[in-house]
Amino acid sequence: MTFAIETMNLTRRFGTLTAVADLNLTVRTGEIFGFLGPNGAGKTTTIRMLCGLLLPSEGSARVAGLDVAADAESIKRTVGYMPQRFSLYGDLTAEENLDFFAGIYRLPGPERRRRVTETLARVGLAGRRRDLTDHLSGGLKQRLALGCALVHSPAILFLDEPTAGADPPSRQRIWDLLYQAAAEGQTILVTTHYVEEAERCQTIGFMHQGRFIGAGSPEQCKADMAEDLLEVDALPVMEAAALARGLGGVTGVSIYGHTLRVFAKTTTHLRHHLQEALTAGGITVKNIRAVTPTLEDVFMSLTRGGADGNAGR
Amino acid sequence: MLTVIGHVARKETRQILRDRRTLVLLLVMPIILTFLFGKALETGELRHIPSVILNQDGSPESNAIVTAFSTYDEVRIQGEVGTVQEAQERLAQGKIKAAIIIPRGFMNQIVAGEEAQLQLLLDGTDNNSAPIVEGVAQRVIQRYNAERAVRGLWARGVRPDRGRRLIQPVFVQTEIRYNPGLRYLSYVMPGVIGLTLQLLTVMLMAVSITRERERGTLDQLMASPITRSELILGKLLPYLGMSLLNVITILFVADRWFNVPVRERLPLLLALCTLFVLTSLATGLLISAVSRSQFQAIQIAVFYVLPVFMLSGAYAPIEAIPEAIRPISYLFPLMYFCRAVRAVTLRGADLFLVWKDLAILGGFVLIFLYWAVLSFKKRVA
Repeated sequence: MTFAIETMNLTRRFGTLTAVADLNLTVRTGEIFGFLGPNGAGKTTTIRMLCGLLLPSEGSARVAGLDVAADAESIKRTVGYMPQRFSLYGDLTAEENLDFFAGIYRLPGPERRRRVTETLARVGLAGRRRDLTDHLSGGLKQRLALGCALVHSPAILFLDEPTAGADPPSRQRIWDLLYQAAAEGQTILVTTHYVEEAERCQTIGFMHQGRFIGAGSPEQCKADMAEDLLEVDALPVMEAAALARGLGGVTGVSIYGHTLRVFAKTTTHLRHHLQEALTAGGITVKNIRAVTPTLEDVFMSLTRGGADGNAGR
Repeated sequence: MLTVIGHVARKETRQILRDRRTLVLLLVMPIILTFLFGKALETGELRHIPSVILNQDGSPESNAIVTAFSTYDEVRIQGEVGTVQEAQERLAQGKIKAAIIIPRGFMNQIVAGEEAQLQLLLDGTDNNSAPIVEGVAQRVIQRYNAERAVRGLWARGVRPDRGRRLIQPVFVQTEIRYNPGLRYLSYVMPGVIGLTLQLLTVMLMAVSITRERERGTLDQLMASPITRSELILGKLLPYLGMSLLNVITILFVADRWFNVPVRERLPLLLALCTLFVLTSLATGLLISAVSRSQFQAIQIAVFYVLPVFMLSGAYAPIEAIPEAIRPISYLFPLMYFCRAVRAVTLRGADLFLVWKDLAILGGFVLIFLYWAVLSFKKRVA
């Protein structure tokens, strides 16, 4: 099996802060890999190391078979990067931005013009090509930035929160573009903190406090969740949550509307205990049932459990 | 490599042309600055120093002295005052720089063969004006004394022409080559041209990379395969073009309004200006490459531009700088530029006389550019 990206104990420290610690990650060629984690988890630092923008403090990484420390400039030729912060020239038009990036990626004249026209059409900006980038809406800017990362047909695409702040239709369009790129054989590593977006990826990796805490396909991650999950319909819901949290074996409780999601090590006796404790506390329990976790549940479970909740490695 | 430089240059040009305010600043400021600096330093040749006369004697002799003073351009007699106190007040208020006092009994003393005095009350705050007024007074009195002596000798039967030679047997014969009018303006114009060219180029280049760093666009550039020299040279070219336009307008201003002989050696002057502009652009790029923010870049640029003004011999010869710190002057391209342009405009020097300065400027360009490329890191800190 070929890996587009492979890291070995990749570590990056900033002074006393360890932003990324002992990261071991593999991304298969042609897959969409979703990098999930809260803000400050180390996703951006990881991407910057993989793009050759930042030297690792320890460990190593290979991108497209090239070492990030030794061959950073060769890597830059084969990858596309869309930074989290919008970083195109606001005082150039959409077309000029694309043309500039196609130019500095050394696309020869005729191919450059062809790719610029193609990319404009692809990201849906053909009609706005002569508009100054500053005058485009947030969603269009993001699509243009994606276009600039795609214009030189890179083998690997690094996208740092490409949909941050975008409305649902804009997000959908960006994901359509990502599927199209993946269908054409491009490997995509995309970071997000929207859990529902992670469902769209073939593989997801969870990051928390600089550490890699789990990876696998969305289904696998759900199946491998270390804790069991009960859904409880109870009233009043706040008091029920407080009682459930105090119960032995319960590791976490989240409230969704009028239902509780209770995470626990094991549910065989807990279900009974929970029913008893809640009723004794004067709470009306309508229903308790075991449910399959969503990715959000997995994420909550992993970030709470830290190292011991290691799913699907 | 060349095509990538071209892409960067084209992008920069578009951005310059779209930023109207900066564009106007770039094209108009040099003309205004050259004009203002030039005008300010033109009157740096001190003339019309405001003075008053206190003629307490009111005799024919004292009146002759007063008339003699009014023939000199350096002083402007604003009028007469009645008392010493009044003269002192005016001096204290800064309304005049000098008071010329002819005391009561001036003529009688002269006639009686006693020592007579012309008194000067000078404001020493302005160390330039005081010696000039004193010099004028010396000349007035010297001439008065000589004329009186000639008349005295004539009365004793010595003919005036012979009498003059007896009194003043030796004369100084001076021939001034180059800048015969000893105009300070002619001396200082190369400095003005250099300072103007340098000010805007250093400032504009200094923020060119840091602006991209602040806006985040540098991230995208650093993630691309562009090389450091491609980026640096691509950014340099459009500003070089703009600066050459400035060179032409500034030389035009110097030629039209300040009578700097530009036309005779135009190609050589253009070559000097081009090389000098390149050193400034490269200096700005170096500042930009090492700065973290635009604010920091501007700070460094100001700390560079100000000492240059003082130390590079732009408006006074570097021989006037104490020897201990004079070696610093040799670190500034502006010093070589001023030296060479002065040689060309004032002494009519040709290529063979200034090739060394041209070569040194060229060396500066290469060193600063190379240094800028090395200082710019394609990795984030």
